[in-house]
Amino acid sequence: MHWLEEHWLGVSLILMGGGVWWLMPRSWQLPRIIGLITALAGAYLMSWGIKSVGGDLGDTVMFWVFATGAIACAILMITNRNPVYAALWFALATLNVCGLFWLEAAPFLAAATVIVYAGAIVVTFVFVIMLAQQSGATAYDQHARQPLLATLAAFLVLGLLLGMLRDANPGDVLVAKAQSPGVTANLLSQPAPGKTLDDDTMRGLGRSLFGDYLFAVELAGTLLLIATIGAIAIAPRRSRGTL
Amino acid sequence: MPENIQHLVMWLIPLAPLAAAIVTALLGPKGMREKSHLPCWFGLAVAVVCAYVLLFSIVPGGFGEHESQAVVAPGYQWIDVGGLNVRVELRADAMTAIMLSMVTAVSLLVAVFAAGYMHGDPGYARFFACFSLFVFSMCMLVLSSSFLLLFVFWEGVGLCSYLLIGFWFQKPSAAAAAKKAFVVNRIGDFGFLIGIFLIWTTFRSVDFATVLGEPQRLAELAAAQPGRITAICLLLLLGAMGKSAQFPLHVWLPDAMEGPTPVSALIHAATMVTAGVYVVARCTPLFVHSPTAQVVVCCIGGVTALIAALIALTQDDLKRVLAYSTVSQLGYMFMALGAGTLAASDAAPALATTAAMFHLYTHAFFKALLFLAAGSVMHAMGDVIDMKRFGGLRRALPITHWTFLAGAAALAGVPLLSGFWSKDEILGALYSAGSSESPYHGYYYAVFAIAVFIAFLTAFYTFRAYFKTFWGEERFPAEAGHHPHEAPPVMAWPLRVLAVCALFIGGLVALSGSFAGYLHHTIGLPHAEEPGLRWGLVFVSVAVVVLGIGLAWQMYVAAPRMPSKLAAAFRPLYAASLNKLYFDEIFWAILVAPLRGLAWLAGWFDRVVIDSIVDGLALVPRWLSAVPVVFQNGRLPSYALVMWAGLIVCLALAVRLFASY
Amino acid sequence: MTGEVERYLVVGAALFVLGALGFFTRRNLILMVLSAELMLHGVSLTFVTFGRMHNSFQGQSFTIFILTVAACEAGLALSLILALYQRSKTLDIDFWSELREPGLPSPRLAEEREARDLVAPPPLEFPHLAPAGHVPDLEDEFGKLVDDARSPTADTPLEPPEPRELVKSVTK
Repeated sequence: MHWLEEHWLGVSLILMGGGVWWLMPRSWQLPRIIGLITALAGAYLMSWGIKSVGGDLGDTVMFWVFATGAIACAILMITNRNPVYAALWFALATLNVCGLFWLEAAPFLAAATVIVYAGAIVVTFVFVIMLAQQSGATAYDQHARQPLLATLAAFLVLGLLLGMLRDANPGDVLVAKAQSPGVTANLLSQPAPGKTLDDDTMRGLGRSLFGDYLFAVELAGTLLLIATIGAIAIAPRRSRGTL
Repeated sequence: MPENIQHLVMWLIPLAPLAAAIVTALLGPKGMREKSHLPCWFGLAVAVVCAYVLLFSIVPGGFGEHESQAVVAPGYQWIDVGGLNVRVELRADAMTAIMLSMVTAVSLLVAVFAAGYMHGDPGYARFFACFSLFVFSMCMLVLSSSFLLLFVFWEGVGLCSYLLIGFWFQKPSAAAAAKKAFVVNRIGDFGFLIGIFLIWTTFRSVDFATVLGEPQRLAELAAAQPGRITAICLLLLLGAMGKSAQFPLHVWLPDAMEGPTPVSALIHAATMVTAGVYVVARCTPLFVHSPTAQVVVCCIGGVTALIAALIALTQDDLKRVLAYSTVSQLGYMFMALGAGTLAASDAAPALATTAAMFHLYTHAFFKALLFLAAGSVMHAMGDVIDMKRFGGLRRALPITHWTFLAGAAALAGVPLLSGFWSKDEILGALYSAGSSESPYHGYYYAVFAIAVFIAFLTAFYTFRAYFKTFWGEERFPAEAGHHPHEAPPVMAWPLRVLAVCALFIGGLVALSGSFAGYLHHTIGLPHAEEPGLRWGLVFVSVAVVVLGIGLAWQMYVAAPRMPSKLAAAFRPLYAASLNKLYFDEIFWAILVAPLRGLAWLAGWFDRVVIDSIVDGLALVPRWLSAVPVVFQNGRLPSYALVMWAGLIVCLALAVRLFASY
Repeated sequence: MTGEVERYLVVGAALFVLGALGFFTRRNLILMVLSAELMLHGVSLTFVTFGRMHNSFQGQSFTIFILTVAACEAGLALSLILALYQRSKTLDIDFWSELREPGLPSPRLAEEREARDLVAPPPLEFPHLAPAGHVPDLEDEFGKLVDDARSPTADTPLEPPEPRELVKSVTK
């Protein structure tokens, strides 16, 4: 066990990366469950390795459920041969992330993500069915491009990120923050006096958005409008019987 | 005449043809088409009137009084750098006025003739645009006030000559002839330009007024640096040799006959080729200080005249006979220019220059006449010019016949006609140079003997051409369509006018003595009384002329089989003359072939050595790019992966910084 | 209330990396867009977590903006994909590899290029005629109509659509 505490990062990266690599679509298919379990084991080891300040039990359980769901769905999404299933896994991954948002005192965000992504995903989903599936499985979904190189590169970054996280020890930051409250620039983005982030979520977010970020909100609205016009302009005209 | 009006008249002489050229070039091809000659005619008529006004206004006090004066019409400052100060301005003195009166008059007559001759040619407008441009350049050349400005228009006439020789540029021989003329002239121009540089370093000026118009200073400089003056004279002579087709740069002129015949008449007989004579005559004050240069001028003239006359004996192409005759007569003018040595007398330079200019003047008229008459023959014969293919045309083409005869007689030097007077003056100048105490008087005697011999040859070949063309059995080539037509009035009238000029202008001028009396108003030329006729010389020249014409009559009219017998008897000599003394071949062997070899060698070096080095260098980046090129595979995810690699590097650096922090 | 924030960061980082991995390995244009969305999820999660660590709503506000931009991006990406699909009749990103260095081979394998062209659309069905009627001349009238309707005039694919030829032979 001591050895594992020394080397948990490398082991977890190898486990997770190997599992994902195992799952990559290729001409010969390995049993998928093995890869999934290996990858998840690696993910668990990562979370274990990062030291955390404890929370209450209910939240912890919920976190593990949603985190497992998010990671597993993400892995399955990027490795599935069938784009329709991949889109479905993406929807599930989104739902799990929304659960994590909920746990992190962001219920509005969770709801908004569900609504926006549900809409977007449904549209995407319809497109996938209409475009890709009309003539059966396609060759280009059956082979991952450069699986080994891509996996190595991706998990190298993950290792670097986790290494930084381990060294920074953000829990200490949090503790230091709690000891010296009020050292922050944007007052309107703080919870109301006497309240915490969890108590005051909706009102606090509203105050932050329409107080500190009013101008940005207007800008984002304009951006949406422009993007809508652009999408209409770019989208090709339909010609007789084609999509 | 008020000064400003005189300036206006001077400016009008070149600018009227220039305006005609611009109008014709802009409007001719689309708008005027068949009427394209009208601007040219009008511009040239204006120039002629102005030239004659100038001729009579420039020497106001009568011909007899001697005062050198030049009228300068101001223009604008062109170059003012350091000590070099060149203005674009017109400068006219007696020599300029004489040249202008000849150039514009002949140009106008040729332009009228050309309207008939070029009728129906697709490049009609282009012809008259180039023609007017040439007249502009030529007028500016003689009106220039400095050597540099003269050089500009020296090149300008060369350009127009190139354009007009290559007028039928679809014809390969015409294009080659134009190129040859241009390239051969480059050799002369090279010497001319260096001569101008030397003039500037010696005199610190390129103005005629400074260089030629200050005799004291000139004499001092010549005494201090005789070698320098000789070098300047020889370099200027090189330029003049190129332009005036003197040996060994004479090879371009016969080929230039590829151009339309009016062009041959104007540019390659009357005007442009005399520019070299004009320059040497203009620089007489310089040349008198270098007896060496003078004798070189004389000898080159003699050699050229002799060679050209010998070649002209056997040519079958009528225009080529005339072309070699032109070269020969230009050689005559150079002989005269070279004979103006101070050793003979103080007045000798003026007399010699007068003789040369006089011959230039008369020659312009009768040679233009001969060329135009030859053009009329071509016109009637369907562009056939080979004398073996036609004959006995005197009945079919009466006007052409009589005018050609007038020109031929004038050229041959038949007594009392133009050529007789001017040739006589040249012989006189040569004789007095030969009988002087000059150290080179032996050369002058030799050249004098040659000149007499050439007078005989000239009479012979001129009348040979005349008899072969207009006498004997009547024959027409198939191209003529069996009904040769006489020249239309637009062509006939210039012939008539020129014939009158060729017949009488020499006698008129020589007997009145007005030419020398007029010309000595040129700067740097001392006053000289015309010596009058030397009866001995007159007798000799008349004798050789009669001999030449008689021989021609005997060989080509009385006994037509004699020439072929003679040719068989003297086969090598005949072949040498027929093949232009092999000059083109000799030049090819000693100049063109080695240069081609050198060019081939340089090309080989470039291809093999230089290119290998460059290609080798170009291989280096190719090797270096072998690795990054793999990532440039067009796949978007690959590019993302490369970006991701950058992210890895940044994060790794961040981790290290973080750890050290 | 607090606790385990670091683990949220781990999940965020893992989602980000997995999204990138999907972007690298998938060739389906739509799945590449979805992978990019997955990366955005990871980033959003991280922002929310940071905001929580700093006891501030800034992280959530930022996530709202990410959501907005993601929605714009999805809309534009879908219309672009649609345009690309109309020209290539495939969702393969490797089809659009014209910007590669000259001389390099196309990333699509030869059999893949064949494979797409061999995908045959379902055969056309014609109404069954009564036995007494005469058989219409398909080549002359109906066949021509069908061909006209299907001939790609306005939006010609870059590669000639062999499947059409297949159909024609089927109808014959």
